Amino acid sequence: MNAIEVNNVSKSYGKVKALDDVSFTVGQGEVFGLIGPDGAGKTSLYRILCTLLLPDSGTVAVDGFDSVRQMTDIRRRVGYMPGKFSLYEDLTVEENLAFFATLFGTTVEEGYDSIRAIYSQIERFKNRRAGALSGGMKQKLALSCALVHSPSVLFLDEPTTGVDPVSRKEFWDMLGALKDRGITIVASTPYLDEVCRCERVAFLDHGQVRGIGTPDEILTRFADIFNPPGIEHATGSEVHEENVIEVEHLVKAFGSFHAVDDISFTVKRGEIFGFLGANGAGKTTAMHMLTGLNQPTSGTGRVVGYDIRTEHEQIKKHIGYMSQKFSLYEDLTVAENIRLFGGIYGMNDADIARKTDEMLERLRFADHKNTLVASLPLGWKQKLAFSVSIFHEPGVVFLDEPTGGVDPATRRQFWELIYDAASRGITVFVTTHYMDEAEYCDRISIMVDGKIKAIGTPSELKQKFNQPDMDHVFTYLARQATRSSD
Amino acid sequence: MKTMKYLIQKEFTQIRRNAFLPKLIVVFPIMIMCVMPWVMNMEVKNIKVTIVDNDRSTLSQQLVHSIEASNYFIFKGQQPTYRAALQEVEQSRADVVMVIPQDYSRDLTLGKQPQVLIAANAVNGTKGAMGGAYLSQIVTAHVNPDIAAMQSRVSTLFLYNKNLNFKLFMIPALFAIVMMLMTGFLPALNIVGEKEAGTIEQINVTPVSKWSFILAKLIPYWVIALFVITVCLLLAWAVYGITSVGPLALIYLLVMLLALFWSSFGLMISNYSDTMQQAIFVMWFFVVMMLLLSGLFTPTRSMPSWAYATTYVNPMSYFIEAVRTVFIRGGGLSSIWHQILALLGIGSLMATWAVISYKKNS
Amino acid sequence: MKQFISFVIKEGKHILRDKRTMLILFGMPLVLMLIFGFAITTDVKNVRAIVVTSSMDHLTQQAVDRLAASEYFTIVQVVATPKDAERLIRGQKADMAIVFGADFASKRSGVQFIVDGADPNMAQQWTNYATSVMLNPDGGAVNTKMLYNPQMRSAYNFVPAIMGMLLMLVCAMMTSISIVREKEKGTMEVLLVSPVKPLMIIVAKAIPYLVLAFVILIIILLMARFVLGVPLVGSLFWIIVISVIYILLALSLGLLISNVAKTQLVALLLSAMVLLVPIVMLSGMLFPVESMPTVLQWISAIVPPRYYIEAMRKLMIMGVGIKEVAREVIILVGMVTLLMTLALVKFNKRLE
Repeated sequence: MNAIEVNNVSKSYGKVKALDDVSFTVGQGEVFGLIGPDGAGKTSLYRILCTLLLPDSGTVAVDGFDSVRQMTDIRRRVGYMPGKFSLYEDLTVEENLAFFATLFGTTVEEGYDSIRAIYSQIERFKNRRAGALSGGMKQKLALSCALVHSPSVLFLDEPTTGVDPVSRKEFWDMLGALKDRGITIVASTPYLDEVCRCERVAFLDHGQVRGIGTPDEILTRFADIFNPPGIEHATGSEVHEENVIEVEHLVKAFGSFHAVDDISFTVKRGEIFGFLGANGAGKTTAMHMLTGLNQPTSGTGRVVGYDIRTEHEQIKKHIGYMSQKFSLYEDLTVAENIRLFGGIYGMNDADIARKTDEMLERLRFADHKNTLVASLPLGWKQKLAFSVSIFHEPGVVFLDEPTGGVDPATRRQFWELIYDAASRGITVFVTTHYMDEAEYCDRISIMVDGKIKAIGTPSELKQKFNQPDMDHVFTYLARQATRSSD
Repeated sequence: MKTMKYLIQKEFTQIRRNAFLPKLIVVFPIMIMCVMPWVMNMEVKNIKVTIVDNDRSTLSQQLVHSIEASNYFIFKGQQPTYRAALQEVEQSRADVVMVIPQDYSRDLTLGKQPQVLIAANAVNGTKGAMGGAYLSQIVTAHVNPDIAAMQSRVSTLFLYNKNLNFKLFMIPALFAIVMMLMTGFLPALNIVGEKEAGTIEQINVTPVSKWSFILAKLIPYWVIALFVITVCLLLAWAVYGITSVGPLALIYLLVMLLALFWSSFGLMISNYSDTMQQAIFVMWFFVVMMLLLSGLFTPTRSMPSWAYATTYVNPMSYFIEAVRTVFIRGGGLSSIWHQILALLGIGSLMATWAVISYKKNS
Repeated sequence: MKQFISFVIKEGKHILRDKRTMLILFGMPLVLMLIFGFAITTDVKNVRAIVVTSSMDHLTQQAVDRLAASEYFTIVQVVATPKDAERLIRGQKADMAIVFGADFASKRSGVQFIVDGADPNMAQQWTNYATSVMLNPDGGAVNTKMLYNPQMRSAYNFVPAIMGMLLMLVCAMMTSISIVREKEKGTMEVLLVSPVKPLMIIVAKAIPYLVLAFVILIIILLMARFVLGVPLVGSLFWIIVISVIYILLALSLGLLISNVAKTQLVALLLSAMVLLVPIVMLSGMLFPVESMPTVLQWISAIVPPRYYIEAMRKLMIMGVGIKEVAREVIILVGMVTLLMTLALVKFNKRLE
């Protein structure tokens, strides 16, 4: 018997067709991947499978039960981790876990084995409130909460967004263990290495199933989306000798806890500098000090020639910034956002208007000049946010996990923009959890436990640590971490 | 300062796009001016009287008739006993009971003072007191012709509000509520909203200065508040024929001073809050206290001294006192200068606090 | 059952950990009770009076002395012409003026009160008091008795109103926000997909707020009795029974709001618009319903706290029997049944 049978399911919200005649089956104990760009209908599909939404037409059976008539039976058998799943921030780590365990009729002790690999990383913070954890930590706790019970079918909607590569590997190892116990798993992910760990995947686009097959089949068939050709980038050619960022012995302490613990490095003009590290290694804190959001506890730093301690307002005039949390004002149109940020950096109306047209032309986005940002797909928002952050031609642009949650083709387009900016002499300082992106950087540093453990070009690092690719380098270094929080 | 233009434009666009705010800006003045004055009417009327006449003489019936004839009271008939009359009060069919004693007419003819009992339901103190007082005037006049003669020599002139119109009393005070919501609550929520959405972080890494960012947030709401106040003034004139006796310029000055306070207060609260819910709760708490102790509903002078002392630091109290003086009594600058100074002082103090507590770099 | 208990405990923790909200939830009744109980009164006192006379003869002096001796008035100034008096009143240096005619002593001309009429109620009361102080110092033929509230404390009127307002806010607003918060954060999806019955989720969410409302009710009653000295003359049993009915009503309203609202902010604004404003304005809490125009009286007829406050005033302050509040109780029970059914029928077991 199939664990999941989806027959001709359609679902619309008003005029928007979220799902259009979707059919597939998932066998008992199978690890099934759902992949597709943002807005493809994955979340709607999950909700229909979990009986949270009713399909407009078509039928769904989970574990042999009909999703419309036998709602209670399904809910008793499935586990679900929604994409925007968050925890109770005012409860402690342990209380969150215990609550979800009880909710699903089990206890933390009973379920401990199935979550050990990930939960043990955060267990020492079990008395800390979930709200005080870093983003990646929260995601790990959420994973633990979702896996603490053993349902017969598990639905995971992009469970690893924002999680560092090492923890992602551990997470998929855990899924493997669940599979061995006969649990059926349906998961979606934007990471290719994770797609490859599924037995079969369905590629969903614009509400339609474009193809179902083994990961290899799908990735080859839709290679233009999932496996775009690498970007040609002549390293070092445009890099100048002068230093744009100079950091010496920088420390940021919160009480006795050193989030950033004595780091020193330099970044040269026109360089693309990858700033890597596991969740909670201190990346975001370091970035906040460089951009003038936070004062360092000790140490010195200069960005575009200004002191980060005393001249942070000067720095702000000469940098661009784009964070994972925020792209643009959602209730303003594309043109209005550009106009606002242009104005903030002291450009005049005529310049803004001219550059806006130029920029939108270059992005092939002129048609959407007056579209509200809220109605754009995620990938577009990110490209736009980046373009806006370099609109005033800053000396350095800081990108904090700019490409979270989008498919490889969109990420590749994003990196073309980055190269384009770098070729114009803009230094790019970027954090990412995608190790293929790390390879695109001129130079990278890897932070572990608040310290920089390695710094150099990708090939230097691979050679030095004797690893085949950046993914392995990162895993090798991050596994040496002794603490896991910021 | 050039960036201000862009920031203010952004705020206006966002207000316009908001699903709720434009409706609020249109509906709010209408609500405030067309519904509130009718609701906020503490006028005591329709006092229901029931009478127990134990005398049943011509004289006592005369008294009953004079009460029946008074258009101040609603006469609810007579009851045989005090007990029965009290029952009427308990069932809310009467507010005041008058008991005429058995020997009423005999005492009167003998020149003795009869004792008429007036029992008023005083759960609502004002109503009980006023009903009792009017009734006792009628009775006194009936019992004692001398006093009746004297009463006729006493006349009363009500200044500024000849018809004792409650709406006139409330309308200027309502401006305080408009300003509180428009320049206090809304900008505070707006700033906490940007905090929650994370957009404030983006603004913090730009060269926008503290002052421009805050002012750009406040100015649109000030403009809107002035617009709303103007609409309110026009509505008061169109709907009730009520206009300000004193100079309008003073009204606007007072309104701006109050806006300074509320904006700073809202900003200060939003700086200390992480979520909109927190901000609203804390604001609400202070607003309720300030409103109740401001003299909007009850006279500050009747408060016990410790409560009266709070009005020295309560800007709402200064505002309401001053705006009523200008609007109703026609007072000029000389009548309200010390309220103006007080508002300015409290406002600047709060503004300083607000700016200090807003951190761009921590 | 174990799930249910852990659910209730979890909700309780949410409430207890939010220190600021807790402070406000418990601070609010305290502050309101103190303000209404002690600070806010419409007593006539400290009335600043001006005497206007051209010749201070013996009889005039006597009348002025009587005024000055009374606890209600302070004579702030003696001026010669009514014009001067008017100027002082306009400048808010005085509230009223007593103008004695030139030949007041000879009883040919009379007395005129010039009163600041801005506040109509107070203006009338000042006149009443001044008349009785001057003309009828000993009360004479009338013996006035203030029923139920001999000292005419405004607390008597407001305590039931505070109960009506706070119970509604705590139950309806807090419950709706806490449900919507789970929707907004995405945890509701997980809860719904869990084996726990949806109805149980709601009941578990409501229980801590029910307890909280009860604690607040007890605090108010204790404060009313021992701090404000409001005699709880009516049957405590019925006071509690009716309050429970009212709390249930508030919970159903909160549940209904949580069904409509998508975000916490909307829930908050909805509660404020649909609950707070009508309660304060139309329930007869501050402003008597009977003084309103008919249309507003009709609207106030569907505002639940109106009946609760009315019933509480009668029960607590007037001490009437349950028979006398039967009408209010029946209306409240009717409303609870209707709203509760509606809330449960409308409760979404799925999203959308």
